[in-house]
Amino acid sequence: MIRFENVTKVYDQKARPALDSVNLEIDRGEFAFLVGASGSGKSTFLRLVLKEDRATSGAVYVAGQNVAKISSWRVPRLRRGIGVVFQDFRLLPQKNVFANVAFAMQVIGKSRSVIRDTVPEVLKTVGLEGKEHRMPHELSGGEQQRVAIARAVVNRPGILLADEPTGNLDPTTSMGIMGILDKINQNGTTVVMATHDDDIVNEMRKRVVELKNGVVIRDEARALYTSMIPVVGQSRRLKDASGRDATETGLPGEGEGQR
Amino acid sequence: MRLAFILGEIGSGLRRNLSMVVSVILVTFVSLTFVGAAGMLQMQINQMKGYWYDKVQVAIFLCSEGSTAAGCASGPVTAEQQASLNSLLESPAVAQYVNDFQFESKEEAYNHFKDQFSNSPIVDSVTPDQLPASFRINMKDPEKYQIISETFSSQPGVETVIDQRQLLERLFSVMNGASLVAVSIAGVMIVCAILLIATTIRLSAFSRRRETGIMRLVGASKTVIQLPFILEGVIAAVIGAALASATLWAVAHFFLGEFMSQQYPDTAFISSGQTLILVPALLILGASLAGISSLLTLRRYLRV
Ligand SMILES: Nc1ncnc2c1ncn2[C@@H]1O[C@H](COP(=O)(O)OP(=O)(O)O)[C@@H](O)[C@H]1O
Ligand SMILES: [Mg+2]
Repeated sequence: MIRFENVTKVYDQKARPALDSVNLEIDRGEFAFLVGASGSGKSTFLRLVLKEDRATSGAVYVAGQNVAKISSWRVPRLRRGIGVVFQDFRLLPQKNVFANVAFAMQVIGKSRSVIRDTVPEVLKTVGLEGKEHRMPHELSGGEQQRVAIARAVVNRPGILLADEPTGNLDPTTSMGIMGILDKINQNGTTVVMATHDDDIVNEMRKRVVELKNGVVIRDEARALYTSMIPVVGQSRRLKDASGRDATETGLPGEGEGQR
Repeated sequence: MRLAFILGEIGSGLRRNLSMVVSVILVTFVSLTFVGAAGMLQMQINQMKGYWYDKVQVAIFLCSEGSTAAGCASGPVTAEQQASLNSLLESPAVAQYVNDFQFESKEEAYNHFKDQFSNSPIVDSVTPDQLPASFRINMKDPEKYQIISETFSSQPGVETVIDQRQLLERLFSVMNGASLVAVSIAGVMIVCAILLIATTIRLSAFSRRRETGIMRLVGASKTVIQLPFILEGVIAAVIGAALASATLWAVAHFFLGEFMSQQYPDTAFISSGQTLILVPALLILGASLAGISSLLTLRRYLRV
């Protein structure tokens, strides 16, 4: 569904690349975490998938298409196949819950009746039934993020990208959001979530792709936030993790560690 | 649905940026009024030129019933006098200065008069006999007017010889100068209008960057994202153009039609109806000003 072939992204010639020769494939229906410290290139990865930026070298494939080959007037069609959620929700403050979700359908020309039928259905999947007429400022952070998720998936995209969606939320609310993302993934949507929230990653036990300074240093299935496989130069991090998680997990994940 | 959505966006954009929209309306109004004023001056010049001005330079008016000129003491021009004037015009001595000439009968004079003064009340009080017949001469060299004048003034049956250009040329050069000034002011104002429209659209795009950002993310087409901004500018400019048109019409109707034509009954003025020709031109000019400046602005400030 998403394939990076030797992708490098350089924003600033003088700085190190934001992504450095990244090779990665995420299959249809998969749920993958993109983890790593701030500045490690997670958001850059997501932006390349959306063709918000172009790779400096290498090729990005989305649904089998090389995004560099998509002409600018067809980029909207690419984006209709991808839902996006951010840490800061990005709701329209002067529109109520229903209108915020409907907005995503209006702007791509969906008919009024389709909107009337679809929006309540999607609000129900994210657990917001009955709150259609609330304004964003009348909602908690978790509820606002649910609205944003509803908006991202209301056009039934094949891919959902989430950039630190729980970054502004407390742990309990975050787990609620993860439940929704998991449900969306169960329905067949490929989900890629950038995060540095270790509790969530450890709880979910999904594929984990770890970035460091733009390089993929780990790609493990059903993994933890930090790897159990010793990696040269990663011993300090390993110790942090063992203090908290070693008893719970015990065994190493089944992916391979990379440097 | 998409149309309703775009219209809604335009409405909210216009409301949110009301003061900027009002200034765009006023600037296009003033600039297009100057453009239209230049157009009206040219129309007025054409009106005053009448049927003959661009075709001939010299007119030899023949005696008619009520002529009081010295050469007309023997009454209206006779057929023989007219024939001898005609052959004099064709004689080599005169013909060397003349490209060609035409005879205008009283009836023709009346018809041309009716056309030129169609907007004026004077047309009802004039009959064909009151208007003199004439020879209209197209000169090889308009400066040689004197020769024609000297040759024909004293001929029997000639009331007077007139160099039309001399009468109107100075007035027309003033009016042409005024058109030029109007066009120059219009040019400066149009630059103002373009810059103001660009600024307005930039502010509008900035104040709605949240919406447009989301529109991009959910895959709205470039048209849906940009059209509201373009149309916002176009609508404001078209309102300005409509105001300019109304102003020009009012000037033609009240100032020329009711005031000036009373003051100068022997001058032909354009009618308010004629200024309506300017309306589509001004509307199209206003709309394209806004369209072009918004396209240029959006390319820079509203990435898709
Ligand atoms: N638009 C940009 N211009 C220049 N540098 C950028 C830009 N976006 C990100 N970067 C740089 O690229 C690197 C990766 O950033 P980012 O992908 O945002 O990381 P993350 O999301 O993991 O925190 C950082 O060093 C950041 O400073
Ligand atoms: Mg980031």
